Amino acid sequence: MAPLGRAALLLAFGLVLYALVAGSYAAWKRRRRLAVSAQNALLAAFPVTLIAAIVLVIALGRRDMTFVYVWQHTSHRLPLGYALSAFWGGQEGSLLLWLLVLTGYAALAVWLNRRSRELVAWTVPVFGLVAVFFAFMLCFVSSPFSVQPAPGDGRGMDPSLQNPYMLAHPPLLYLGYVGLTVPFAFAMGALLSGRTDERWIVATRRWTLAAWTFLGVGQLIGAHWAYVEIGWGGYYAWDPVENAALMPWLAATAFLHSVMIQEKRGMLKVWNMVLVALAFNLSLFGTFLTRSGVLSSIHSFSKSSIGGWFLAFLGLMIALSIALIRWRLPLLRTKTKLESLVSREASFLYNNLLLVALCLTILWGVLYPVLSDAVRGESRSVSKPYYDFFLHTFGLPLLLLMGLGPLVAWRRASLRSLGKTFVIPFAVAVAVGLALLALGFGSSWPGLLTYTFSAFVAASIVLEFVRGRAAAGGLFRLISRNRRRYGGYIVHAAVVLLAIGIAGSSAYQTQRERILRPGQSLQAAGYTLTYSGLHAVKGSNYTGFRALLSVSGHGEQFRLSPGANDYFIEGGHNEAAIYHDPRSIGDVFTTAALAGKHTSNIDLKVFVKPLVNLIWVAGFVFVAGALIAMWPDAVEQRRLAARYAAGAAPAGI
Amino acid sequence: MIALSVAAALAIFVVYTALAGNGVADLSPSTVSGHAGYVSLVGKVVGRPQGNAYHGGLRFNLKDIGRATPARVAVVYHGSVPDQFKTGADLVVQGKLRNGVFVATRDSMITKCPDHYTPAKSSNT
Repeated sequence: MAPLGRAALLLAFGLVLYALVAGSYAAWKRRRRLAVSAQNALLAAFPVTLIAAIVLVIALGRRDMTFVYVWQHTSHRLPLGYALSAFWGGQEGSLLLWLLVLTGYAALAVWLNRRSRELVAWTVPVFGLVAVFFAFMLCFVSSPFSVQPAPGDGRGMDPSLQNPYMLAHPPLLYLGYVGLTVPFAFAMGALLSGRTDERWIVATRRWTLAAWTFLGVGQLIGAHWAYVEIGWGGYYAWDPVENAALMPWLAATAFLHSVMIQEKRGMLKVWNMVLVALAFNLSLFGTFLTRSGVLSSIHSFSKSSIGGWFLAFLGLMIALSIALIRWRLPLLRTKTKLESLVSREASFLYNNLLLVALCLTILWGVLYPVLSDAVRGESRSVSKPYYDFFLHTFGLPLLLLMGLGPLVAWRRASLRSLGKTFVIPFAVAVAVGLALLALGFGSSWPGLLTYTFSAFVAASIVLEFVRGRAAAGGLFRLISRNRRRYGGYIVHAAVVLLAIGIAGSSAYQTQRERILRPGQSLQAAGYTLTYSGLHAVKGSNYTGFRALLSVSGHGEQFRLSPGANDYFIEGGHNEAAIYHDPRSIGDVFTTAALAGKHTSNIDLKVFVKPLVNLIWVAGFVFVAGALIAMWPDAVEQRRLAARYAAGAAPAGI
Repeated sequence: MIALSVAAALAIFVVYTALAGNGVADLSPSTVSGHAGYVSLVGKVVGRPQGNAYHGGLRFNLKDIGRATPARVAVVYHGSVPDQFKTGADLVVQGKLRNGVFVATRDSMITKCPDHYTPAKSSNT
């Protein structure tokens, strides 16, 4: 089995190397047949990588402990589903997943665009270059197919990873990370071929949208996993690994907005190239952060076998992006100028500025330990207050802008028409703000502002739908007539729900902690939690305890039993207990730890988190909006086809 | 106006980092001595931990990770203990050095295990 996997990877390496070398030569010398051959090599790399992936899946399924990778990440007792999820539980498997998704995406994207030869000619070697790196790592540096003489049972899987969310969260993130390679490859291909019109944007718009959606959903699922599984009462900790996924998402968000200006007005060509390169390089950086070991110990930068390689490749890709953009700068210059500071274009610019500012401040925070170590010889790190400050300073204006931007006209908006458009949303926001202030929500200014701005955005979105429906004669017809626009508004609505959920569950949460004897109780935000005693539990691969709590308050009665499991191989793990209150859309979140070895006293922690479930609802709305915006649009296709038929006719290869 | 906005964003960043964004020093048992302020300490648990984190305090020793001649420092800790805490675990605590003993802030312990990175387990959102 293992030799088959190794052989498949070597063959994949050969194929993508050929796609890189022959593809570049063919595109440079305009050799059409060679270009097709390089393209076919790239297409063939996917099924070959798939064979390697299947070998690993079979080994994991059979718990074949002669595979070092299987031995490191599973055990015989581990249920099958989790054993298979070990595919992305470790470094080698993750790299294989990267290559698999990359070759799959590359094959599909190249095949779908095979008729626009001049667009694809330089895209193939760019895909080839990225794939060569991952295939090289898998063949020569970090192979998932290393074998050992049959040992005993494996080392098992970290209990916190034994969760259904871990079946979906990492693959979704990878679909997102890797998906950002597609717009990058087409953008760099466009620079190399000198065809810097917006054709690469049109070809990759849905790819970017899909990658961005996967990345967004992947993060939300990760947040939900952290919330229910890690048991600290939160869902996002500004942890470097979490930031690693947030940064490319923010950059891609900025990109999705700014390409609209290039499509409509032919502006911002340079900026779009910069953003697509930023998003791609941040996704590489994200993989590097999660996989390099820089994080598991900040003090040993080169501990992991792949850290140095990754850093070198990241440096190469950044240098290449910058060099290409500089080289083609004359082609990217545009004649169109911004006409007014009060226009749709300008609002997109502010949106981009804020998104990129937020993204870069997060990057600064992530890199701070490394930078301060290099500069001052002492590693220092920033934490929650730093990130919260910038989330408030850049995120709140961004939220407000989300309500303002879509209502401002292109080119130049008159203040008078603006006043008319905004009078209702403004009135709603002021009313909501004052009402909340009267109800005592002034305890947190960021929270109050988030609620008020959210009301403003929500009102402006509803207004847009109401107006549009009247004109189009039906909600369904309105949406199907302009899917991008109304899909976008639905995504905006999701962001509003997300903002309200985050503000409610962080700015207005109540937290209590006490050591309780059986019979004692604890009060938190109107709930009384009474502890009655311990209860032992047993599973196929663990034993554990649960603390029995009966809770009353706000006219409700329910039971919760937080506790901990002790896994035979993997060790201890907390189990939080959560009650979803349907009325407040919030949760009562509890964790319990034994307050001593031979005692039934517990250390009980309770968090009352209002509105927290809106965050998860936002995920569904987000996907719905993104799908609407992504859905194939026959009218748009015809319009674009007509535009390109009339414009530059394809020449050469 | 655009340039002004960029400048404003930069100015906010510079002012914040100058006033408050200095961060917390990441130290190891060999470098922590002499630092009186609030710092973050990274190390590996050695010996058997004593006491109770919920009652009177959990006491343990941390040594440098991956050094031939590791220094040691005694730690006293209160609050929630992550699942991976045990002898040999790599972890981070925040706190201050007082009379040679590192007094950790309540609930500040984060474990880092060599195989998988485990997200922070702290008391707030």
